[in-house]
Amino acid sequence: MKLNVDGLLVYFPYDYIYPEQFSYMLELKRALDAKGHCLLEMPSGTGKTTTLLSLIVAYMKAHPLDLTKLVYCSRTVPEIEKVMEELRKLMNYYEKEMGMEQNILGLALSSRKNLCIHPSVSKEREGKVVDGRCYSLTASFVRARHAADDAVPICDFYEGFDAHGKEFPLPPGVYNLDDLKEYGQMKRWCPYFLARHTIIHANIVVYSYHYLLDPKIAEVVSKEISKTSVVVFDEAHNIDNVCIDSMSVKITKRLLDKCSNSITILETTISNMKENDSKRLEKEYKRLVEGLRDATIARETDMALVNPVLPSEVLEEAVPGTIRTAEHFIAFLKRVVEYIKTRLRVQQVVQESPAGFLRDIHTKVCIDRKPLRFTAERLASLIRTLEISDLTDFSPLVTVSHFATLVSTYTKGFTIIIEPFEDRAPTVSNPILYFSCLDSSIAIKPVFNRFQTVVITSGTLSPLDMYPKILDFHPVIMTSFTMTLARPCILPMIVSKGNDQVAMSSRYETREDTAVIRNYGNLLVEVAAAVPDGIVCFFTSYLYLETIVSSWYDQGIIDQLQRHKLLFIETQDAAETSLALINYIKACDNGRGAVLLSVARGKVSEGIDFDHHLGRAVLMFGIPYVYTQSRILRARLEYLRDQFQIRENDFLTFDAMRHAAQCLGRCMRGKTDYGIMVLADKRFSRADKRSKLPKWIQEHLKDTNCNLSTEECVQICKRWLRQMAQPFSREDQLGISLLTLEQLQSEEMQKKIQQRAQGV
Amino acid sequence: MADEDETKEYRWESGYEKTWEAIKEDDDGLLESNVADLVARAKRKRAALKATGAIQLGMMRHLFVVVDASACMFLQDLKPTRFLCVLKLLEVFVHEFFDLNPISQLGILTTKMKRSEQITVLAGNQKKHIEALQHLKDLSCEGEPSLQNSLERAMNGLKNMPAHSSREILVLFGSLTTCDPGDIQKTIKSLKDNNIRVSIIGLAAEVRICREIAKKTGGTYNVLIDDHHLKELILSQVQPPAVAGSIEASLVKMGFPGGTPTLNDGTSDSSADHAPAYCLCHIDSETSSLMGPNGYNCPQCGSRYCELPVECKQCGLTLVSAPHLARSYHHLFPIKPFVERAQVPDATHCFACAKLFVEAETNVYECENCNQIVCLDCDLFIRETLHTCPGCASDPVTAQMKTN
Repeated sequence: MKLNVDGLLVYFPYDYIYPEQFSYMLELKRALDAKGHCLLEMPSGTGKTTTLLSLIVAYMKAHPLDLTKLVYCSRTVPEIEKVMEELRKLMNYYEKEMGMEQNILGLALSSRKNLCIHPSVSKEREGKVVDGRCYSLTASFVRARHAADDAVPICDFYEGFDAHGKEFPLPPGVYNLDDLKEYGQMKRWCPYFLARHTIIHANIVVYSYHYLLDPKIAEVVSKEISKTSVVVFDEAHNIDNVCIDSMSVKITKRLLDKCSNSITILETTISNMKENDSKRLEKEYKRLVEGLRDATIARETDMALVNPVLPSEVLEEAVPGTIRTAEHFIAFLKRVVEYIKTRLRVQQVVQESPAGFLRDIHTKVCIDRKPLRFTAERLASLIRTLEISDLTDFSPLVTVSHFATLVSTYTKGFTIIIEPFEDRAPTVSNPILYFSCLDSSIAIKPVFNRFQTVVITSGTLSPLDMYPKILDFHPVIMTSFTMTLARPCILPMIVSKGNDQVAMSSRYETREDTAVIRNYGNLLVEVAAAVPDGIVCFFTSYLYLETIVSSWYDQGIIDQLQRHKLLFIETQDAAETSLALINYIKACDNGRGAVLLSVARGKVSEGIDFDHHLGRAVLMFGIPYVYTQSRILRARLEYLRDQFQIRENDFLTFDAMRHAAQCLGRCMRGKTDYGIMVLADKRFSRADKRSKLPKWIQEHLKDTNCNLSTEECVQICKRWLRQMAQPFSREDQLGISLLTLEQLQSEEMQKKIQQRAQGV
Repeated sequence: MADEDETKEYRWESGYEKTWEAIKEDDDGLLESNVADLVARAKRKRAALKATGAIQLGMMRHLFVVVDASACMFLQDLKPTRFLCVLKLLEVFVHEFFDLNPISQLGILTTKMKRSEQITVLAGNQKKHIEALQHLKDLSCEGEPSLQNSLERAMNGLKNMPAHSSREILVLFGSLTTCDPGDIQKTIKSLKDNNIRVSIIGLAAEVRICREIAKKTGGTYNVLIDDHHLKELILSQVQPPAVAGSIEASLVKMGFPGGTPTLNDGTSDSSADHAPAYCLCHIDSETSSLMGPNGYNCPQCGSRYCELPVECKQCGLTLVSAPHLARSYHHLFPIKPFVERAQVPDATHCFACAKLFVEAETNVYECENCNQIVCLDCDLFIRETLHTCPGCASDPVTAQMKTN
């Protein structure tokens, strides 16, 4: 249908629209008009993706100069594919309505592993291996060698792309990963490089977060994306962690040993080259003297996205003399690696600021800050010059060089923690150096600065005001939408006590208490007896899950449970977990029913949807606080308190509640779906926790359901399940939670939508 | 349910019932109009469901009723227990079933301890079934049910029934889980291949596999809200369903046993018809006695039966009487659903019961054929019981049209 969103004609590819989708469009349009950033929360299953796409595409068509490109960042490959399907639907609708081909090019980009069509390379399973082998077939020097000697293998697809693909742009249309591969097969062009090349002039690009947030990748892939783009981060509730991870480095002893090996390889290659081809090294030297001037020019003209790993000082200056020649640089690297090795030889935990680290490295091995800062660039240059084709060997060394550059560039927002052993096994020596980013705004800052509109959206972003603080930006729009429903299809409940009136809580003091564990067990057994098909339970940690399951076993609760449903448990092993998941789904499909015990923050809680019968109930045992004894977390909390005035407790609660909300949201994937959400901890009913749940859950959490015992909870479940099982058709939804165009345009509905927009 | 009062549990034993939550105030803060509205809507909905129009109906039904007898049937959310409540309602169902579908047959299965047991075989004799149901009351419910086993067993019984009959299974399922020996999908597929329709009534909550079975085999799946709703759901199965489509119309051979059993004056054409004989329905039982001259004789082989309708044990002929067929007849020509109208000013009273229309009644119903206006209760009565419109029947013109 065609909608009028605040004066903008929007083509919406469905006949019906949810009222919140319309409100979402209104807010998004305002943000685009203001050319500012926005933060939007809308429950999962209400069609965020299609709403975003249809509004932004319409905006691009109406204001082609103001908005040229949409960059849609999603988390996983299946999610990317879903976005592409929605986009295809939208474009088909445009074509049908306008009666002509649309001049819009949308494509998905993923790693080489997902896009390679080379007959042997594409068989590889591991992403790194595919990257390495691809590099060894397509690097410029390999191709030069091939020109001289036919025996050197190259990739035909890349050659094809290089010869023709660059002149002929991809015809307009929507290309998902398979389409790209097919097109590549047909033209015999490499789909990966074709996609990367096309990004520059495509109108809509869909890829993973890392292409924009991870500075190492963003440098290669995304730097030429124009300023007048809108960037969308979907499922962005964990965006701060992604930012931090992309800037953090973890160095173990094994990694350093590998580094030493790589350095020896480099050394021998250099000496070989010196004998055969000393000119090349000279050329490199000259280039280094001139400095990284090209990069400076690019940055001045605002062509590129600023790379946070490559600080601006590096660009302005020439590479310092001490590491300019290859041998000197190798010696320098050796010193750095040896120094880190000595630092790892510690007996107790060391925490240190980057400044302290720099002072120490200066006094111990006489390395200045300046050359350290150039390490990453210098190493990259050396590897290029030496024409080393197998990059996989050097990744440990690259990690160390990134560490060196980062530690010398940023004195604020980072910390160094050296732990001699893991907390769980204090007798086994396993020293690890964490170079941990404390400030999530560092990695995302260039994105906010460069693009005119950045949209951060997810099903669970509450409390909204935390994100602008920790990401350090100023949104123009910040809204949380609720879900209009024709029937109360979520049932959140806080169960605070067992039938014996003993309070249930995962508090540290009481978590070992058998009465609490037994009450948790009884709750699960009774819910399992009353709820059909699938039930998913979340625990606060793997450790807690294990202790609880073992005491349930002793108490005979597992036996009782298995009378009603089969039992599956998530473990830290990914293969084991996916096997458990497959069988869980099978058990639900066959009507046997199943219970899945899993962990908040685990794989299950983040990526897997339990729609309809797969998740009729979600039980949250305890509040999923992050492990507060971790030193990295403590350092981050301290930093947040000092820099952003966020109290420790606030951040911890925020973090716990967003994960709880994420877990609860697993069972609700659309308006025809329904699910029970049980929060089994007394502390959930406190106002500070309750108010941090997303609005769409809070709305259904009645005061009467906030302090229930097990028995009361099961009673409510039973009645509610019977209500939900009654026939429910589209007609029941129409006019309330689902609108036709006429209904949308009716005055009454417009008034409601206006109210909703003003209410927030 | 007469004995319900005796076994009724104490108020504090039952669950928390927040009866006040079902009631909402209307704009004026009144409750009455709202409640009336709810009731009327529910009634109409039921009526609308039945108005299927003129489609081919499977009047000759072969139905297996599967009763869940697993541990969860002892729960007391239906009074006195789920199991007893279901059995009680089934008795009513069996009675109604044979009343409305006189030429059909019925069988009963139970499932417990992951197994399935046959209680009665497919037969047209309602007394036997009701007797069996009464015996079931002493059965102890235990273990888990098995959907697959009971469906397979019912399927084996139905497979060999003639192609022109409608094959159905009705499952009353209290459990939320089923413990099956193999892949239930295969069972669903063969049910579908055999044209067997499975309808399921859930007693607790929506179970996905039940919905799937019902959907794939063309049956219905419903979950009850309370015992009144359950009764409604069970009785809605009494109406013959529309034929799945692939069944071709075919001629069925039937026997109409001659003579009236009460007549003893010898006016019948053949004296052999009324000679004392053993009736075949009771020949197996110990207490069988020589029947008097009363009874029905199969016109094909001459076997004696004391009740109709029945399938002749000797020669397999279906024996019915003309009124039986006539009772099934109205299924073929259901009356057109009446149109809902807002209060018509010139109609002051219901045509059928002569009740005056008052303010509280918002809607009245009009027959499209004779344009007579009736009230909601009469509308339902006409549709469910009478099966003929009093307006049309009393008007000589339309009545003539109908017979033509």
